[in-house]
Order: sequence, then structure tokens, then C-alpha cells
Amino acid sequence: MESKQAAKAYYDFSTVFQRTKSFIDSHNEKHTNLKERLNANHRATAELITRLYAKQLNKAITLGDTLEELPGFKTYNPSLASCKGCTVRTIINHKERLKAAGFIIKEIHRGKSGIEIWINPAIFHTQQLSTTHNEISSDISQIICDFDQRVKNLHPLVHEQQEQKNNNSNVDKLITPEEGVRLSAHNPNITSVTGTLQEQDMNTRKSRNPAPDVQKRNGQLDAQGVGSAFLLQLVRDFWKYVQITLYPDILLSEPEETEILNLIWASVYRKFKIKGSKKDWIGYQEILYKRVDMVSRWLDRNPNRWVAPPHLYFHPENKRNGFDKTYQWFLKQEILKKEIRNQILIQKAATEWKAHKKGEGKYRYKTRLQLFRIQQQCLSQYHDQRLLDLYEKSVYKMVNL
Amino acid sequence: MVHPDPTSALSKCVVYFNDGKSRTFYSFDKKHKNSKPNQSLGIRRLEKMLMTSLKGTWETAIIYENMKNGKELAKFKNGVRVFYYS
Repeated sequence: MESKQAAKAYYDFSTVFQRTKSFIDSHNEKHTNLKERLNANHRATAELITRLYAKQLNKAITLGDTLEELPGFKTYNPSLASCKGCTVRTIINHKERLKAAGFIIKEIHRGKSGIEIWINPAIFHTQQLSTTHNEISSDISQIICDFDQRVKNLHPLVHEQQEQKNNNSNVDKLITPEEGVRLSAHNPNITSVTGTLQEQDMNTRKSRNPAPDVQKRNGQLDAQGVGSAFLLQLVRDFWKYVQITLYPDILLSEPEETEILNLIWASVYRKFKIKGSKKDWIGYQEILYKRVDMVSRWLDRNPNRWVAPPHLYFHPENKRNGFDKTYQWFLKQEILKKEIRNQILIQKAATEWKAHKKGEGKYRYKTRLQLFRIQQQCLSQYHDQRLLDLYEKSVYKMVNL
Repeated sequence: MVHPDPTSALSKCVVYFNDGKSRTFYSFDKKHKNSKPNQSLGIRRLEKMLMTSLKGTWETAIIYENMKNGKELAKFKNGVRVFYYS
């Protein structure tokens, strides 16, 4: 157990847990209505929050923070959920219940940077509360009775002992043996502290799919050897080209234009996550221009045709009438073009064969083998295996006629 | 119903009506309660309001940034958006 002297600058897990427990017990005693009471699951969430909060505070203390005013508990709903092994909705519901009970006094949503929770000061204060001291072993047995362990793999109630004295775990090998130095509260390497295979230190992890933010990343857009300025210029050039060809009449203000550039960066260029040389990007840009030209020609063919406004046309989530769809269209067109070219070449070869048979044409003094070699050489310049196969078939037909 | 908040809105639209009166509208920049404000969404919504619900009632409308000495973002005259250099 933590000594009283050290308690001033250190949040003892067991004391904090006892306070949590007594807080919830006293709350449950006061309320008879089932909807107001906190059940075992709410208790587990509360304990999870207190444990992680205590870790956060202790880490702040070891880093030299005086904590004159208690900071809030910064976390993410998804990481709490994965810590507890439930859904985000459950965590939100539990937090609502805990707020109603007065366990959580305040909550602020910070969007991408997660949430900040303030816990009742009765639980997180450095002086001992005048609550009755419970026997820990009886607490554990009571909790074990309350929870069905087969259903949920809950954290053990007393973490302090296990984190300090678990000889079987690899915890002690990772920390310095110096007295008073504690584990970093959120060390991602240590996930098996209690021996249970649970990820315990995940709550400072960022949410898995943070929203794109081009402003922040502008400086880091470097894709191996290609300057970010060059890549961003590609985005701007592309938008200029699109504006001239597809949206000649549209007028946009600065914020609207910025939004569209961000969308193009995300959807058309895939945030430049794909590595490529400068030459590759220029090649891709050429293809993009061709795709835009294709759309513009398609629009010109019929006055009733339209494309979505730019903020929708380039939206990454637009699966229905977005610019992304033109890629398939472009591929189809390119394949068709090749097919037609191949057919023309083979027709040309066939007429030469016919002329050769009649003793006419350019190659009338050549032998059949020489003609075949000449034509094969000509066609091999296109580097298209399919074309050569087709040619061989047609030659076979011509010879056997 | 949630109304735009003049203190937190990112842009505002001053509309000069045909009858000589004028009124300021504030943009509503969020998709949902906790979403990140999106200024261009607010501007698009203001434009939509001008072109549909207030159609034919105003002569000039100007969208500004909602701050002191805020920049002019867009200008509309007689139902048409006019070119404006930002």
C-alpha cells in the first residue's frame, strides 16, 4: 500500500478505487429506482475511467506537473470502448448514467482530439475521505460475485498490487529499478501488466480514422523525392483546368475554393499516400486531364447532361456521380481505342497478304516468309501481345485460304 | 429547431431588400451538433436561402466573414452572383 507521505503527490490506485466503490454504493443506497441505480457494468466503466485517469495524473506528476488545479481526463470514446470490450454507444450510455449519478461532473467534446471528462472531486483529491475502510479481499470476492466473468473479461479491482508486485509479468524488467520511478502511465509496449491479455493502455491512442486535414499536412506531403510544393501545385493546376473546362460560369469564394482543393487532394490524389516519382505524377496528371476532357466532351454532346457541383463531384464519399467513376470509363475507352487500332492494323496486314497473293503491291517481290517477318516487326513496335496473337490467327487464315 | 448563433457563426449575409429595408442573416456552419464547422457549407446555405426562399425580394446581398473588419466573400446582385476578387 502507498504510504501516507507519498499520497500527497501520488494518486494511489487502491484508495481511488475504494472511493469510487463507496461513492457508487452510497448512490445506490439512496436510489431505489432501478433506472437511477448504477449496475455492475456502470461500475466497471467507472473503474476503468478512474484507473486511466489516475494513470494520466500520475504521469503528469512524474513529468513534474504540480497539478494545483486538477486537469480533466482526456480520452477517446472508441479507445475506452476497446479497452472495456464493448461498443462506443455503450460507453456513451454509461457516461450518461454516471453523469446523472454525479460521478462525472462535466464533459467536453473536443471533436478530433477526443473528449475531456471531469470526475467528482470527492474521488480525486489528495486527502483521505472519511469513508469506512473496506477489506479489499472481501471487496474482490463481492465484485466477483456481482460480475459474471464468463461474459466479460473485467479488469481486476486492485491494480496497484499487481502492477507493482506481479513477479510473473515482464513489467519489472522494463522499468528502472530505482525506487519511486513508476511506469509510464501510457506505455504502449506494456499491455500484459495484469497477466490478463487485455490492452490496457490504449486510451491515449488517436481514433483510427482521423478526419483529413490538408492544412496540417501541407508541410509533410513529401512523397519520396517529390517536393510537397510540386504535389500541391498539381492539385491547384488540376482544379484550374477543371474550373475552365467543366465549371466556366461558377464563382467561388476563398473558403469554398479551399474546401474543393482539400476534397480533390483527398479523393483524386488519395492524399498522396501512394509513393511515386515526379514522372509518375506527371503521367497521372495527364490521365486526369484526359478524363476531364472526356467529361467535357460528354457534356457538350447533349445540353441536358450535367455534372454535380464541385464540392460534391470531388467528394471522397460520392460513389454515385463523383469524378472517381470516370476512371473506369477512361479505362474502358482506352481498351476500346486499342481494340479498334488492332483491328485496323490487322485489316491492313490482310490486304497486303491479298495483294501479295495476286502479285501486286509493295511487297510483290518478297517471299511469304519475308512478308510475314516484315509485318511482324512492324506490329511488334506496339508492344501488345494481344495484337501479335490476333495477327498470327489472321495470317493462319490467309495462308490456308 | 436550432438557429444560427450570431456569436459563433463563421459568416454573415447582409441583404438589402427591394423595399429599402436591410437585414443580416448568420450562417449555420455545422452538419450536426458536434461536427466541425465548415465555412463553405455555411456560405452555400446562405446562397441557397437567397436563391430560393428570398428569391425576388432582394436587390443586393453581400456575404462577409463574421468578425470585425471581416473580408467580403461573395456578392449577389438582382439574383445573380457577381464576380468578386478576394
